[in-house]
Amino acid sequence: MLKVGFHRASFDRYTGFKSAPETEGALFYGEKPADPKLKETIEAQGEILTEIKPGASACDPGST
Amino acid sequence: MQQPLTDREIHLVREKIQGKYAQVAAAPAGCFRYPTGAEGLRLQQYPQEIIQGFPQTVMDSFCGVGNPFSLGPIYPGEAVLDIGCGAGVDSFVAARLVGPKGRVTGIDVTDEMLVKARANLALLGLANVSFQAGEAESLPFPDHEFDVVISNGVINLTLNKEKALGEAYRVLKPGGRLMIADMVLVQGLPPDRAGQIANWYQ
Repeated sequence: MLKVGFHRASFDRYTGFKSAPETEGALFYGEKPADPKLKETIEAQGEILTEIKPGASACDPGST
Repeated sequence: MQQPLTDREIHLVREKIQGKYAQVAAAPAGCFRYPTGAEGLRLQQYPQEIIQGFPQTVMDSFCGVGNPFSLGPIYPGEAVLDIGCGAGVDSFVAARLVGPKGRVTGIDVTDEMLVKARANLALLGLANVSFQAGEAESLPFPDHEFDVVISNGVINLTLNKEKALGEAYRVLKPGGRLMIADMVLVQGLPPDRAGQIANWYQ
């Protein structure tokens, strides 16, 4: 979400609904900046976060 | 490292997903491991004051994985896009929230779901909701069109999630909100299932 420009992007919580033992529903929130000029800063932040945290991401290809 | 899907695999995944959800449109009960219908709505704490007025057949068609409305308010007069609207339950909830001066647009790739959504809409008689065919990765709307984008159990089914999220961003107005529920991996798949194409649609 950060990579495409959302800010205040957050994982809120798991929902308790599971489609498989390895999956669970999750809630995510994000906002489009009211000022479009913020998008470049947010994209840069997203790239930094991606480098720091290369772990499993939500909804990887092949996820159920 | 996950190999990119071949064109043949992409076609297969799309076909299988549409086929699965065509079956869900006809009879959602028993299609998922988690509770659906009225029980699913209750467990996800959907606003009772809104859904209690829904006909049973409308509630029966709910198969979401969470409650996007729990993430924040939706205000009267707002324009809402429901990506992967299915049989329309979330669109109908949004329609009650935005009121007669607002509007809700639901899109889905499954024709059978759109038929079900329009049938449910006829039962509810809401004038501020419309449904149309559309894909998350290529939304058929101009930039800055909506105040809120919601989605429930859909982004995990898209083949290019960054593109889908980028499209949601594009169609949101500045200051707009994205509120989504989706199915995510919380641990690795066992070796005999990891990388299997069937994971997309089972």
